[in-house]
Amino acid sequence: MKKISKLAALLLAMVLLVTSFAGCGGGSKDTKDTQAANESGSSAPAASDAASDGSLKLAITTGDGSSTDDKIPTPWYNRQMATNLMFRSLLIADSSLEKTEPDLAEVAVSEDGMTYTVTMKDGLKWSDGEDLTTDDVIFSIETALKTATINSIYTAAFSNIKEMKADGNVLTISMTTPYASMMSVLSQFAILPKHCLESADPLSLDSDPFWQSPVCSGMFCLDELKKGNYFTLKLNEYYEGTAPKITKVTVYFVTDFITAAQAGNVDYVYGNDAGLVEELGKMENFTSNEVDVLFYKYLIFNMKGADGNENEAMQSLEVRKALVEAIDRATLAGLYPNATVLNSGVPDDHEAYNGFSYTFDAEKAKADIAASGYDMSRTLKICYYNNDQTSIDLINMIVYYLEQAGLKVEATLSNDGTTDLFTTRDYDIGFKGKSSFSIDEWYTEYMSTDALFKNIFGGDTTFDETIARLSAATETAERDEVLKELQGMEQEYLYKVPLFTVGTYVFTSSNVKVPDGVTFCNPLYSCDLDFANWELAN
Amino acid sequence: MFKYIVKKLLMMIPMLFLISIIVYFSLNLTGIDPINFMVSPEVLSANQDNVEALRESLGLNDPLIVQYFRWLGNCLQGDLGYSFDGTPISSLIADRLPYTFELAGYSLILSAVIGIGIGIISAIRQNGIIDYIGRVLAVLGQAVPQFLVGIILIQIFSIKLGWFPSGNRISPDATSPLADAFFHLFLPVLTLTIGMVAVLMRYARNTMLDVLNSDYIKTARSKGIPEWKVYLKHGFRNAMKPVLVILVFRIPMLVGGSVVIETVFSYPGIGLTMTNAITSMDYPVVLITTLIIAAAMLICSFMVDVLNALLDPRVRLGE
Repeated sequence: MKKISKLAALLLAMVLLVTSFAGCGGGSKDTKDTQAANESGSSAPAASDAASDGSLKLAITTGDGSSTDDKIPTPWYNRQMATNLMFRSLLIADSSLEKTEPDLAEVAVSEDGMTYTVTMKDGLKWSDGEDLTTDDVIFSIETALKTATINSIYTAAFSNIKEMKADGNVLTISMTTPYASMMSVLSQFAILPKHCLESADPLSLDSDPFWQSPVCSGMFCLDELKKGNYFTLKLNEYYEGTAPKITKVTVYFVTDFITAAQAGNVDYVYGNDAGLVEELGKMENFTSNEVDVLFYKYLIFNMKGADGNENEAMQSLEVRKALVEAIDRATLAGLYPNATVLNSGVPDDHEAYNGFSYTFDAEKAKADIAASGYDMSRTLKICYYNNDQTSIDLINMIVYYLEQAGLKVEATLSNDGTTDLFTTRDYDIGFKGKSSFSIDEWYTEYMSTDALFKNIFGGDTTFDETIARLSAATETAERDEVLKELQGMEQEYLYKVPLFTVGTYVFTSSNVKVPDGVTFCNPLYSCDLDFANWELAN
Repeated sequence: MFKYIVKKLLMMIPMLFLISIIVYFSLNLTGIDPINFMVSPEVLSANQDNVEALRESLGLNDPLIVQYFRWLGNCLQGDLGYSFDGTPISSLIADRLPYTFELAGYSLILSAVIGIGIGIISAIRQNGIIDYIGRVLAVLGQAVPQFLVGIILIQIFSIKLGWFPSGNRISPDATSPLADAFFHLFLPVLTLTIGMVAVLMRYARNTMLDVLNSDYIKTARSKGIPEWKVYLKHGFRNAMKPVLVILVFRIPMLVGGSVVIETVFSYPGIGLTMTNAITSMDYPVVLITTLIIAAAMLICSFMVDVLNALLDPRVRLGE
C-alpha cells in the first residue's frame, strides 16, 4: 500500500510538472506598441484565421533560412512587401526598377555623373515623431558600408562615394567615378533612423534589438511582434503621403508558403519554385502575375584561388567547352516554370545580346573531352546548395548528361555553392542561382576585386576595365556596346555558364483588390505598387 | 534510496559532458566559419585586419579544445552564447522551450489517458470490438510517420474544413487566450498523441492481460470480489507499474518528435528553432538545442531508474 501511495504521489507530481510547463506556454519578450490593443480586438480565435479579419495577410518564410522568426527582417538585404511598407528610400522605382520618381527626396545628377544633389521633402518624420533628415541619409549610407548583412548592390554603389556634405535639407554626394545604376540603387536603399541606431554595432546591425520594435518611415509601422508567430502593422500617423485604404497588415512567420496559402493565411505570395507555382496556379482564389526578373541559374567553374592555387582539371578551355556542350540546357529549363535559356548574362531578347549560342551535342562533347586529354578516370565533382526537389532533379539530369559523355561525376549538396568552392577546394563545378537587380550585377562577379569570386576565378583582372566602363556608361548605346564586349569575353573565357533565367510569379488572393494598371516588380526589391489604393475584398 | 538517486544523478554529469564533446567537435568538423555569417563578403574583402581582429577577439584562432572548454565554462555560468544572427541563445531558449513543454505536456497527458484507457478496456474485453479496433489503430499509429499524420490532419481539418489553423501558436486579435491555445494546439497535440497512444495502448493491453491471468486475480475472483474491483484494485494497479515506466521513457521521444511536428505546423518551439538553425547552419543554436534534447533524454532515463527502484526494491539492492 505504501508503494502504491508513493507511485500515486510520483504520478501526481509528474502531472503537476507537465501542467505547470503547459501553463508556461507563450513567449515572454514579445513587443506591443499599444498595451490596450493587446487585450482587445475581435473575438476571432485561431480557427477563423482563414477568414478575412480586416487585415492584409502576408507571410515570411523561415523554412529556407533566409529570415528568422523573432524580429523584422532587415530591408538592406532583401526588400519584401512587409518591409517595403515600413521603410522608404530616397526614390521609388517603377516595375522595371530602372525609372525612378522622388520618394523621401528629389535627386538630381550632374551631367558628368559625379555629383548627386539630394533635396529632402519638407516635414518628413519617423514613426516616433522625430524628424527624418539628411543626417539619417548620411548615417545610413556610411553604416551600409560597414555592416555585414547587406545586398551587394548597395556596397558596390556606395563604395564609389567620395564624400557627402549636408546643408539644411540638401545633401550633396560626390563620387570618385560615375555609377550608372546609382539612381536605381537609391530607389532600393532603405533609410534607417540615426537616432535609434547610432550606438548599434554596424557589423551586426541586422540583429540589433531595434528590429524587434523598429521606428519606421513608411505608411505602416510595427504594432505588435509575437516571436515565432506573427507581427502586425498599423498606420504610421506621421506618414505624410496618401493614407492607404488598408489599415492593418498581419505578417505570419511560416515554414512554407503553399500551406499558408491553402489555409488562407496569406494574400500575397511570390516564388519561382515549380511546386509553388503549380500548387498556387491550381487555386481558384489566387491570381497569378508573371514578373519579369533576372533570376539566373548558372554553373561556375572552380578555376583558381586568389592565393594562386589552381584546379588543374578545369584549366583547359577545351574541357570547359566540351562540358557545356554535353549539357542540354533547353531540357533543364523545362524543369522550371517559364524558364528562358541564356547564352550570356544578357537575355537573348535584349537588344544588346551578341547573338552567340551554346549548342548541345552529346557525341561531339564526348569526342572533344576525350581529345582534350582530360583524365577520364578522375571524378568530376559538382556542388550545389538548393535542396528543393526541382534543383535536385536538375542536378541529377546534369550528372546524367555528363556521364553520357563518358565522365565519372559526383554531385554533393553543400553548405554554400560559392564559398565551398574555395574553402574546401574539392569541387570542379558549382551550381548557383542569382536574383539580379540588373545585368550589371551578373558581370560584377567577374571583377578581380569581388570578395568571393576572386577566390574562384583567381583574381583575373581581364574583365575589370570593361566592367568599370559598364558601371560608368549612362547612355543606352554606350552600355549596349560594352555589354556586347563583355558577352564576347565571358563566352571566350567560360568561367561562368548561364543555363537559363527563371520566371518569378507573384500571386494575390481574391481577398485583396489590386488597382488596375499595377505591374509587379521583382518581389525581392521595392517598386511603386500603388499600395495606397489596394483594398480588401470583404 | 537517497544514495541510489545521488549516484544516478552524478552519473548524468559525465554522460552530458561526453555528449557535449561529441556534439561540439562533430559540428566543428563541418568546416563552417562563423565569420562568414557575421561579416559580408565586401567587408571581408575590404577590412581584412578588422576581420582578423574580430576573429582573434572571438577566440576563433585558439585550438579547438581551448574553444570547447571556454564554451563549456560559459555555459556552466549560464552564458549559452549567441546565434549567428546575434540573438542570445539563452533568451531564444527561454522564449521557445515553454512552447515545446506545452505541446509535449498536453500530448503526454492525452496519450496517457487515451492509451492506457483503451489498452485496459481491450484487455478486459479481449477479442471484443474495442480490442480489434484498438489493435488496428495501434498498428496504424506506429506504422504511419508522424509528419505524414500532421500533413494529413492539416489537409483535412485546416485546409478542407477550415476548423483549425495550419500553424503558429498565437493569433492576432484573439480575445480568449484559452480558446486561442486550444485551436492552435489541437492538431499538433493530436499528431503527437496518435503515435504515443499506439505504443501505450499495446503495452497497457499486454500488461493488463498478463496481470489478469495471474493467480492472485483468480484468488480475488474466487473470494467473490466484484469484477470491477478485481479489474481496478487488483488488475489495474499492478498493470500500471511497467506502463508508467514506459510512459516516462516516452517523454524525450515527445521532445524529439516535436522537432518534426513543430516544423510541419510552424509551431514556434525548440524543435522549429532547431530545424531553422540546421537550415541556416547556425551551429551554436544547433549545439545547445541538441544538448537540451540529450539532457531531456538523460533526465527521463534517470526518472525511469528512480521509478523502477521505487517499484522494485531489488533494483536498488542489485545496484
